[in-house]
Amino acid sequence: MTMKRDMVDKLLQLAYLEGVISTRRGYENSVAKKYVPALISEGKQTALLHGLEQALEASRHAEQPLTVGGFLLHVKTQSPIRSQEVASRIGLSSNIYRMLEHDRISPLKISIDVWKRMRTLFNLSLDDLVEMVRRTHQLVFFRPSFRTTLARYDAKKNKKMKSATLEKAAAELYTRAKLTLPKEEEAKVEKLIGAIRGE
Amino acid sequence: MARIANRELVQLIKEGNPLGCRHLVEQYQGRLIHEAVSVFDLIQEDAEEIVSDVLLTAVQKIHDFEFKRGDGDFHVWVMTIFRNRVRDFVRHRAITEGLEERFEEAALDDEEGYTKAEFEVVREIVRQYQDSLSRDDNKTQGDGRTAASLKAVADVLESMESWERVLLRCRALGVPYEDIASYTDKPVRQLKVYHARVKKKFVRLLIQHSPQLAQQLSEAL
Repeated sequence: MTMKRDMVDKLLQLAYLEGVISTRRGYENSVAKKYVPALISEGKQTALLHGLEQALEASRHAEQPLTVGGFLLHVKTQSPIRSQEVASRIGLSSNIYRMLEHDRISPLKISIDVWKRMRTLFNLSLDDLVEMVRRTHQLVFFRPSFRTTLARYDAKKNKKMKSATLEKAAAELYTRAKLTLPKEEEAKVEKLIGAIRGE
Repeated sequence: MARIANRELVQLIKEGNPLGCRHLVEQYQGRLIHEAVSVFDLIQEDAEEIVSDVLLTAVQKIHDFEFKRGDGDFHVWVMTIFRNRVRDFVRHRAITEGLEERFEEAALDDEEGYTKAEFEVVREIVRQYQDSLSRDDNKTQGDGRTAASLKAVADVLESMESWERVLLRCRALGVPYEDIASYTDKPVRQLKVYHARVKKKFVRLLIQHSPQLAQQLSEAL
């Protein structure tokens, strides 16, 4: 139902919309108290949900820098090739491949030939592969210190927090943080990257 | 679907869990469509489109959002996106169709009635607002000019008593009298009785605020 408003109300609305005046959360709070079920068709509702889920997927990939593990898990869900087959085609044992899938092993421990085969198999650009390798090494390198920090935080704030939650928090932290490696680690990564690039 | 706390809702969306989208739609779609139609006089189809856009923006920008004060932060953030989308719609309508006619209708519908001078002052502000939107250099200086065209509204409100300001601003956006009573420490009955008078006072002050404009108008009338 539309409430009757005169020209003064409309002028004040205009000023509110343009950010010239504010209700100091008075309006926002009153909306928060209301509950109005959506009275739109099921088809429109489904279309909206579909659009939101697509945006969700897109924003996930846009926001999180891709690691080797993230890339391989994406391959696992999006392509019909089985993990075992990928592992064998790039020349890795299943165990090492699984560790790579979960960013549990530094790319420095994987041979150059594996990276070259992986690049060919997935038709990856050199820049993308290099970025993934760099990022993954950063995550693996920093994981222990993050875990220690988070565990300390956990002990102080909530002893009952499960390790899975901690792990999830750590994963988010790894992927979103800007990490700077110590010089000697950076040199090792650069050496591997140079080898991948064929320099 | 049982309602969940905003922190939980945000966490689900940040994790990429589609359940977060369902909760977002459940909590906001009906509510915002209702606001767009009942408060800002949009037609149902436009309101649905705007609200879909608001929810889409919320999902796309969720990684930019962080809680700072409390659980209500997310609601305020969504409401800001909503306000900006409605503002863009109103701006577009002002450029393509004009707003004066809508103000004229609102003035004619009003039972209390405004004098010709009072109506003209409001109309002139709306006209300046529209002009600021249609200027060629709007893209670079538009927001500043648009805000300046409405500055008189803010100035006049500032010169009024605190409870009068709250009453005018909140009622224009459909905030219930009961809520306003709690913000102002005034009884609901008094607020209802005084609302029309305070509006008249506001317009009188608006005329006084722009004596040049009032002079021009009185000469024209």
